[in-house]
Amino acid sequence: MSLRRYALRRLAIGLVQVLAVVTVVFLLVQALPGDAAVALAGDNPDPRRIEEIRVAMGLDRPALDRFGSWLWGLAHGDFGVSLFSGRPVAEFLHDGLGPTLVLALLALVLLIPLSVLLGVLAALREGGPLDRVVTTVTVGLHSIPEFALAVVLIAVFGVQLRWLPPTAVGADLLASPAVLVLPLVVLIARPLCSISRLVRAGMIDALASDHVRHALRLGIGVTRVRFAHALPSALAPAVQQVARTVDWLLGGVIVVEAVFVIPGLGTILVDAVAGRDLPVVQGLAVVFAVTTVVVNLVADLVVFRLAPRSVAIA
Amino acid sequence: MTVVRVEGLRAVAGSRTLVDGVSFALSAGRVVALVGASGSGKTTTGLALLGEHGPGVSVSGQITVSGRVGFVPQQPSAALNPVRRLGGVFREIAALHPGDRDSLISTALRRARVPVELLRRYPHELSGGQQQRVVLAQALVGDPAVLVADEPTTGQDPITRAEVVDELAAVVAQGVALVLLTHDLDVVRALADEVVVLRAGQVVEAGSTDDVLTRPRSPYTAALVAAQPRVTVPSAGPPRAPRLETRSLTARHRSTAVLRSVDVQVGAGERLAVVGRSGSGKTTLARCVAGLHPTFEGDVLLDGRPLPRSLRRRSRGQLAAVQYVFQDARASFDAYRTVLDQVSRTAVRLGGVADARALALTELAAVGLDEATVTRRPAALSGGELQRAALVRALLARPDVLVCDEITSGLDTLTQARLLDQLARLTCTLVLISHDLAVVARLADRVAVLHQGDLVEHGAAVDVLGSPTHPVTIGLLGRSLEGTEEKRT
Repeated sequence: MSLRRYALRRLAIGLVQVLAVVTVVFLLVQALPGDAAVALAGDNPDPRRIEEIRVAMGLDRPALDRFGSWLWGLAHGDFGVSLFSGRPVAEFLHDGLGPTLVLALLALVLLIPLSVLLGVLAALREGGPLDRVVTTVTVGLHSIPEFALAVVLIAVFGVQLRWLPPTAVGADLLASPAVLVLPLVVLIARPLCSISRLVRAGMIDALASDHVRHALRLGIGVTRVRFAHALPSALAPAVQQVARTVDWLLGGVIVVEAVFVIPGLGTILVDAVAGRDLPVVQGLAVVFAVTTVVVNLVADLVVFRLAPRSVAIA
Repeated sequence: MTVVRVEGLRAVAGSRTLVDGVSFALSAGRVVALVGASGSGKTTTGLALLGEHGPGVSVSGQITVSGRVGFVPQQPSAALNPVRRLGGVFREIAALHPGDRDSLISTALRRARVPVELLRRYPHELSGGQQQRVVLAQALVGDPAVLVADEPTTGQDPITRAEVVDELAAVVAQGVALVLLTHDLDVVRALADEVVVLRAGQVVEAGSTDDVLTRPRSPYTAALVAAQPRVTVPSAGPPRAPRLETRSLTARHRSTAVLRSVDVQVGAGERLAVVGRSGSGKTTLARCVAGLHPTFEGDVLLDGRPLPRSLRRRSRGQLAAVQYVFQDARASFDAYRTVLDQVSRTAVRLGGVADARALALTELAAVGLDEATVTRRPAALSGGELQRAALVRALLARPDVLVCDEITSGLDTLTQARLLDQLARLTCTLVLISHDLAVVARLADRVAVLHQGDLVEHGAAVDVLGSPTHPVTIGLLGRSLEGTEEKRT
C-alpha cells in the first residue's frame, strides 16, 4: 500500500474516531447529575428560577436536538458559545492553547535530544558505571508522580531557596522564562525516563545486529555506523512513546497546570466540567481528539520511514 | 600469483582451541572451500582473514594477504540495514577508497550485475537474489583481491542457489580469489578448485576438489560426502485412505492470494512433501493445516472431519493431532527456560503423561541428547541439537500429522542426515515443507509442487520426481541433479 493511501485511510478513520469521542463526551456530560442551570443558580436555588435559566440557555430542548445543532455548527467551523459567559468557545480554546503550546513545544525541544542522548550514551556504555547510574536515576525518577515532584520542587526551589518563582500566577510565560523552569522540569521528568529507556534498548539491539556487524566489516567508521546505521533503527520503538508524550502534553497536563497555576487547556477543561459548560467541554474534546489522531498518524509515518519493513508487512 | 597465504593459524578461546594449525594458500582467480560441520572452525578461519575475531578469542599464526579482503555475509537480508537506502550505504563505502566515488560504485554494481535503479530502494524492496547480488557488489567496491563468502547458499531454494553460484563464478572469472565457507557440497563441487576439510579446528584433509570429494582419504570426509542426500526416485507404495486433506484451500495475506484452491491428500503413515521456490506459498499451506493462519477459505480435514481454522478453536485432542516443527528451531524455544522443561511441557499438556520428565529424557536420549545437554538453556545448544529437541517436543504430543517446515536447511550434511534418519523412522503422517528435492526424494511418498500459490503438480513421488511435467518441478529437480556437472571449466 502506498504511503499516501495509507495516510488518507488513517485520516478517514480518524474523522470517525473524533465523531465517536464527541458523542461519548456529550452522553457522559448528560449523565452527570445537575446541569449548567443548577450550577449557575447558586446555593439554595429556587426550582422555578432554575427552570427559567434552563429555558434561557436552551437546555429545555431535547438532548438529540441540541447535539444535532451543535454538530451542524461544528461542521461550519462554529464551536458554539459558552453557557455561562456567552463568549464563543473558540475564544476559550484560543486563550488556553497559547500557554499549553508554549509548554509543550519547549518540553519537546528539550526532551527529544536529551532522551536520545541519554539512551545512546547508556547503550554505548552498556553495563558500565554510566549505564548503571543512568538506569538507576531514570527508573527512580519514573516512579515519582508529577504532582509529588512538582510540590517537592516548589518547596525546595520556590520556597526554601527562593531561586525560582513557585507558581506562574499572572505572569506572561514568554516574557519571564523563570516561571517556566519548574513546570518544564516536572513535564520532562517522566517522559525523559521512558523514552531514554526505549532508545537504550533499541540501540543495544541495533548495535548487536547483523547489519551493524556487516557495516563495520565493510570498513565504515565506528562513529558513522553508530549514528547513521544503528541509531535510526533504534529510534522506531521510541517514536511511538514520543507520540504518546506529545499527545499528553498537548492535552494540557491538568495536574501541572493546576499546581503551577498556568491558564492552559487543562485548567479550562477543569473549570468547564465543574460548571457543566457543555459547549466548552465538547470544544476541548474535539481539539484533544484531533490532536491525538494527527499526532499518532505523524508518528506512524515517521516509523514507516525508520522501519519500512514492519509497516510494509502489517 | 599467491594472494592469500595462511600458515599455522591457531585460535584459542579460554581453554578451548577453535582452530588448530590451519594452513592453505590461494592464487588470484582460484577458489578454496573450507568445509566442515558447525563448530569446525571454518567461520573463525574466514574471519581471521578479515583480521577479525570473536570476543575473548586469541589468534596466532601467519596470515598474508596481498590486497584487500571483501566479505560476503551469510544472510543478506539480515546484513542489509532495513532503514537505509542502498545508494547511501554504497556512497559511504566508496568514500573509504581512493578514486572517484561514482565510478567505484558503478564498477562494483556492473561486476555483481546489480542494476543502478536499485540504489534508490530499501533492502525489503528487493528479492532474495537481488539482496545477494547487492552484498556481493558492496564487497566488490574498491576491487578486493580476495572475497570471503560465508555460507552464501544456506536456506536458498535450488534455483536461487544456482544463481548465487553463477554470480560467484563470474566474479572469480574476473580474477578475484574466493574463500568459500560452506557445508553445501554441491556448491563446493560447482565452484571450488581446492577443498580444506575441517573438523574440530583441525585440517582433516586438503587437496583438489575432485580428489577430496570423489576419492576421500579420511573416513570423516567419506562420511561427510556419503551423508549428502542425492535425488533418487523412490518406488510407489499402495494408495491409502487420506488422513489429512485440504479442499479448495485459498489463503490470503491481506488482499494478495498466496494460495489458490489447493487440494492435497496424504494417507495415514504416508509422507507428503510440499515443494516450491521461496514465496510459492508452501509455508502458508503448512500454517493453514496447523491452524496458525486462520484466514483461509476451503477446508482442512483430518480423517474426513474438518478441523477448526484457528488454533484457538481446536480442542486439545485436535491440537495434539497436528504438530508443527518450525524452520528456526532457536526461535521456537523460550531463551530463559531449559530445553528439557519446554520439551516435557508438551507431554504434560497434550499427552497427559504423568512422569513427563522421565519420558522426555528417554526420548531425547534416543536422538542423542543426554541429560547434561538438555537441562541447559537453548543458547547452550547447537542449531542441530535444538532442531532434534524441537522434533521430540512435537512427537511427545503423539501427533497423527507432523508438519516439518524446512527443518533441515542450514544444517551441515551429517547433522542433516541424522535428522532425516529420525524422520524416516516415524510412523505418523508427515507433511514436509522443503525446497531441497534430495531430502524430499529420500523421504516422500507423495509430492505436491506449488508455484506462486497454485498447485501445479501433485501425486506419488515416483510420478512427480520420475517424470516431472511442470517447468518449476523440472527446474528444481534439474538444479539438484546437475550439481556435479555445473563445475566451471
